Parts: sequence; structure tokens; C-alpha cells
Amino acid sequence: MKLYLTAAIVSLAGLADAIYLTIEHVTGQSVRCTIVAGCSEVLSSQYAVVAGVPLALIGAAAYFGVFSLATLAAFGYRIAAVLLTPLVLLMFLVSLWLIYLQAFVIHAFCQFCLFSAAVTTTLTVLVGIAVIFRRKTT
Amino acid sequence: MKRTLPFIIILVVLGAAVGSALYFTRSTPGSNSVSPSPTNSSAPANAPQPVLTGVAGADPPHTQGSPNAPARLEEFGDFQCPPCGLFHPILKQMQSEFGDKLQVTFREFPLTPAHQHAVAAASAAEAAGMQGKFWEMHDLIYEHQNDWKDNFDVRPIFEGYATQIGLNLDRFRQDITSEAVAQRIFLDGKRGHSMGVKGTPTVFLNGREVPFESLPAEKLRVILQSTIAASGNR
Repeated sequence: MKLYLTAAIVSLAGLADAIYLTIEHVTGQSVRCTIVAGCSEVLSSQYAVVAGVPLALIGAAAYFGVFSLATLAAFGYRIAAVLLTPLVLLMFLVSLWLIYLQAFVIHAFCQFCLFSAAVTTTLTVLVGIAVIFRRKTT
Repeated sequence: MKRTLPFIIILVVLGAAVGSALYFTRSTPGSNSVSPSPTNSSAPANAPQPVLTGVAGADPPHTQGSPNAPARLEEFGDFQCPPCGLFHPILKQMQSEFGDKLQVTFREFPLTPAHQHAVAAASAAEAAGMQGKFWEMHDLIYEHQNDWKDNFDVRPIFEGYATQIGLNLDRFRQDITSEAVAQRIFLDGKRGHSMGVKGTPTVFLNGREVPFESLPAEKLRVILQSTIAASGNR
């Protein structure tokens, strides 16, 4: 239960990060170049938008999904705990893909994207431990 | 109560997330200032962008279009900046649409250390300017941004462009490292800083900053149309 509660709180950090990036994307502020390299290259790349939807907005929806499922799981909803695992795993795989793109395709790193990857990795570890505990107790 | 509490928490977070996103999207500086900048009328009460003059930049500046144009647009750009590369065709389109009603000035604002080749690119454009072909080099560098920005040594590429536009290559090589070119870049940067430029592209229309989110063609077109109409030259 505490693991899911922790996951819910951690996902709020990812949600805030993704909302910030969405706002920056919509208003165009973050895609302007500054003396700090990285975000403008990443956020103005073709990978920042999926089918016309900002990737940051999709990320915000995913983090809200994790928050909702983790909260429900913390309150004992088993189905939420079951659904949370594939969602977090998918987000982790997407994060790995995005880090690959930043490192080898775009050749620039955006600190906000790296923070999101760190949050997703933390969520993966938390949910992984929760799954192991759940299997041991059943 | 325990069964409904998680749903209440989820709804509260959803409301806070959507609310904060909408609030900050609408209150971002400049996001309400899409309205054009009148040139010969008094500023509207809600005009958020002051007219800025700044210190003088490189003289003479690189300009295209009539000096008497009702819409005088000044861009501070960095040749290695991807959004500047994206803005380049938009500005070209505006120039073809508005003709002599739009004057464009380009100011160098290379962002170092973020872009390792930005100064080299600015120097190449300025060196071409020494032979009267600034805009030809400016266009080539922007149009081929993806071809050179990740290269280790960009000088041979820029020399290739110099040859392509018919420059005297020996003079180009001399000018690109000259004090005169460095001074022009410095003076443009100084002007940018005096006008509060912090990133690129930063665009001023008749001395007022055009919000970054208003730079897509469809928005910039409306602003230019309104500015020209306000000046009575439509």
C-alpha cells in the first residue's frame, strides 16, 4: 500500500514536469534557443509531436493515469494495481527510446525530459517491488 | 467514504492539473499581446510591449525592403538555432506576400556556448556581407542548417557556400577572421542585450517585440496586416 502511495506522489512530480513542458510547448517559450543548450533542439524536433499532439501532453496524460491507478491501488483496488504495471512498463520503454533519440539522433539533452525519465524509472522500480511483494503475499 | 475518497483525490488532482495548465498558458508573458503594434497611433491601454530602441547595432545593418516600409521587422537570429531555421522560410514567405510594405533587418545573436558553430556561421555571413552577399550566404546557411550543424569542422562547408555564391574565396577567408566581422557580431549582440533579447529568434516589429508564439506564418501574417493597415498604407 505504501509503495503505491509513494508511486502516486512520485507520479505527481512527473505530472508537474509534463504539464510544464506542455505549457512551454503550447506557448512556444521552450522552443526558443537560449544560451543553455538542449531543450530547444529536443522540443523543436520532429519527435516532440505525435500525430499533431505534443508528446509532453501525452506524457501528462500518462502520468495522470499512473497517479489515478496508484491512488486506487493504495486504497485496495486490485484491478488498478494490475493495470498500473503495464502502463509504467510502457512509459519506461518510451523513456528509454526518448533518451536514445536525444543521445544518438538529436544530439542534445533536455533537462526536463531527463527528469521525466528519472521519474519514470523510479516508478518502474516502485511498481516492480510492489509486484514482487504482491506475488509473495498471494 | 473510504471507497469514494480516492476518486475525490483523483478529481481534485485532475482539476488542479487542467486549471494550472490553462492558467499558465493564458498568463504567459506576451500570450495576450498578439495584437499588432500600431505605428502611428497612440498605444492602446492594454499594449503590453513597449517600443524599444536599444543601442545601435552593426552599421550599416543588413536590411531587405524599403526603408519607408510601414512594417519594419528586426530579427535577432542564431544560424545554428533550429527555431531560427524554421522561422527562415516563414519570413521569406512574409516578404513575398507583403513586398515593399515589409522591411526586414537581420541582427547577429549567436548563442555560445550552446551552439558551437553559431559564431562561425555568423562570421561566414558577415564575411559574405563584406563582398555584398550577406543575404545569399544567410539563406544558404539557414537552408542547409541540418547539413552543417553537427559537423566537427564547418569552415570547409561555409567556404563551399562562398564559392557557390561567387565570392572571392581568399578575401572570404581573410574577412571571416577579421576584426571588422567580429565587431559587427559584437555590436549586434550588444544591441540585442540592450533590447532584452535572451533567446532566438527574437523579433521586433516597429520596435515592439513580437511574442514568440506569434511567429507562425498564420499569426505573423495577421499582425503584419494589422500593422500595415494601422499605418494607413494598405
